[in-house]
Amino acid sequence: MTDTTTPPRSAGPDTGPRSDSPGDSPSGAGSGGRPRPGGRLSRRLGTGATQGFLGVWALLAAVPLLWALVSAFKTNNELFASPWKLPATWHFDNFVRAWTKADIGEYFLNTVVVVVGALALTMLLGSMAAYVLARFRFPGNRVVYYAFVAGMTFPVFLALVPLFFVVKNLNLLSSYPGLILVYTAYALPFTVFFLTGFFRTLPTSVAEAAVIDGCSQEGVFFRIMLPMAKPGLVSVAIFNFLGMWNQYLLPLVLNSDQHKYLLSQGLAALAVQQGYANDWSALFAGLVIAALPVVALYLALAKKVQTGLSVGLLK
Amino acid sequence: MPTVTFDKATRIYPGGTKPAVDALDLDIADGEFLVLVGPSGCGKSTSLRMLAGLEDVNGGAIRIGDRDVTHLPPKDRNIAMVFQNYALYPHMTVADNMGFALKIAGVNKAEIRRKVEEAGKILDLTEYLDRKPKALSGGQRQRVAMGRAIVREPQVFLMDEPLSNLDAKLRVQTRTQIASLQRRLGITTVYVTHDQVEAMTMGDRVAVLKDGLLQQVDTPRNMYDRPANLFVAGFIGSPAMNLVEVPLADGGVKFGESVIPVSRTAVDEAAAAGDRTVTIGVRPEHLDLVGEGDALAKDGGKGLAVTVNVVEELGADGYVYGTAKVGDESKDLVVRVSGRAVPQKGEVLHVVPRSGETHVFSTSSGARLSD
Repeated sequence: MTDTTTPPRSAGPDTGPRSDSPGDSPSGAGSGGRPRPGGRLSRRLGTGATQGFLGVWALLAAVPLLWALVSAFKTNNELFASPWKLPATWHFDNFVRAWTKADIGEYFLNTVVVVVGALALTMLLGSMAAYVLARFRFPGNRVVYYAFVAGMTFPVFLALVPLFFVVKNLNLLSSYPGLILVYTAYALPFTVFFLTGFFRTLPTSVAEAAVIDGCSQEGVFFRIMLPMAKPGLVSVAIFNFLGMWNQYLLPLVLNSDQHKYLLSQGLAALAVQQGYANDWSALFAGLVIAALPVVALYLALAKKVQTGLSVGLLK
Repeated sequence: MPTVTFDKATRIYPGGTKPAVDALDLDIADGEFLVLVGPSGCGKSTSLRMLAGLEDVNGGAIRIGDRDVTHLPPKDRNIAMVFQNYALYPHMTVADNMGFALKIAGVNKAEIRRKVEEAGKILDLTEYLDRKPKALSGGQRQRVAMGRAIVREPQVFLMDEPLSNLDAKLRVQTRTQIASLQRRLGITTVYVTHDQVEAMTMGDRVAVLKDGLLQQVDTPRNMYDRPANLFVAGFIGSPAMNLVEVPLADGGVKFGESVIPVSRTAVDEAAAAGDRTVTIGVRPEHLDLVGEGDALAKDGGKGLAVTVNVVEELGADGYVYGTAKVGDESKDLVVRVSGRAVPQKGEVLHVVPRSGETHVFSTSSGARLSD
């Protein structure tokens, strides 16, 4: 960016009507140009500060991740001798050790089953509840809605003990269905809250057109409104996936069987064990395995969220 | 194709007391193109949505043919609707949009494809059938919405301001296309618009609504020549009819310095209602200019003096917007003049209404008095 050639592009109120034609900027530079450099300077300082801040933030987030990634390929000795260097040889056996010996593979599969099940259930129930709350007037609509919103404000620690006994009485402790149901219940308030807002923004006339075309209410929901809400569904699904994948507290309380351990529990156990076994590189490999699906999913879908958002913008 | 009947149909929105549509009585003939027109909030869209089944009917009945559809769900009414924002399904291709109703009805795929392609041909959409709506222009989207209605071969077409999202030029084109398409298909159509030009050019008959009340239903010609009341007189026609309140005089009414004859019965009716004035309506093209000492001014009067404020030249003719002093008030008038003899700003014109082309309305009730 050079300051000499840029035409006055909405630099501030002082540029006035001149700014619409770059052709006469030389004359403009003489008379109205004086206050402009100051404005431009402060603007540049502003963007500079923003970019600097974002850069620092990105570093804070990325460096530990990258460090963990690189460390996962090192031997234990390298890890302590030269923590900041790249590994001399890349050791993939760390991953094999983590996957098999440290049971990360088993935990990974447990997590996939629970998270996929809970996510599917959350999205189905959440979108249906949100659609009805957003579109239909009936007595009690607000009560139900605020009950969901109140659920968001409820600290999970308060619920832990009663939740444990509820799940215990249902004989669902340390089982997939138990965890799936609890995860779903835990994710529903935010899902319903978010999707209700999203369904409200969708044009009513499209639903009406579908009704006139002969759709039943279920047809309108599944064939028209749900596909139209896809951007919202994808965003909230990603959010829920992250929350569920990284969930630690709920499985810690409700899932004590070592063979049913989820990744977060497995990693915690691993951290303790490997501390004694001195196998740090396997711990980092396990970390990377745990983080990989989250990163992959986000990379795959982040763009979809952005492009998807414009789908709804049909006039 | 069936008829459509509104029988004292009434809609009161929840929480309101005043009906949005008040005892609407309307008979729409088989194959007719009826236009509902009125200012915003007059209940025209609500009437259409009642016919579609999207609004409840709180009183009276609606029939399609002999079938009472008052409380039937929309899908059982055999209607198709074109929405103002087209309401296309954004995630479906043009072909899927148009064939959706048939798919729901369980028509087989080959049949759907055939009908969609047929409609695509009529509407010039063949090459866009596999696109998504967002990749179409406004005019094309509008045609897809029309196509969606045509493909179903419904008993009644409902159109809710389908042209108002198009630009002015396209609107005029599409207007004729829709009208001729409807004539060709012969499907009974109810069309809602706030644009009286659309109403006049498209409809077999026009129904004017105001505040939920039906004002007049008639052919465009009759609506223009014999508006039933002051509201219709002012609403239909562009520029609007000049409406001037004038005192009753001997043998007629005093219009500026001239006396224009008004039928005996009209004067009697006004007098019976206790009015000392009537409202005279004259269309801009029915105000004739009177030259100085012109023979037209038989009684020595010079008609109404109009001071020219603005002149709009349209080529073939021009519209003069001026002010005249009527009684103690100044009143804005519009006069159509020949495009070859346009007056200057500030000039004073003298105008008299052409005989036989004046409309007389009661000042108190607004009803038409002359025949």
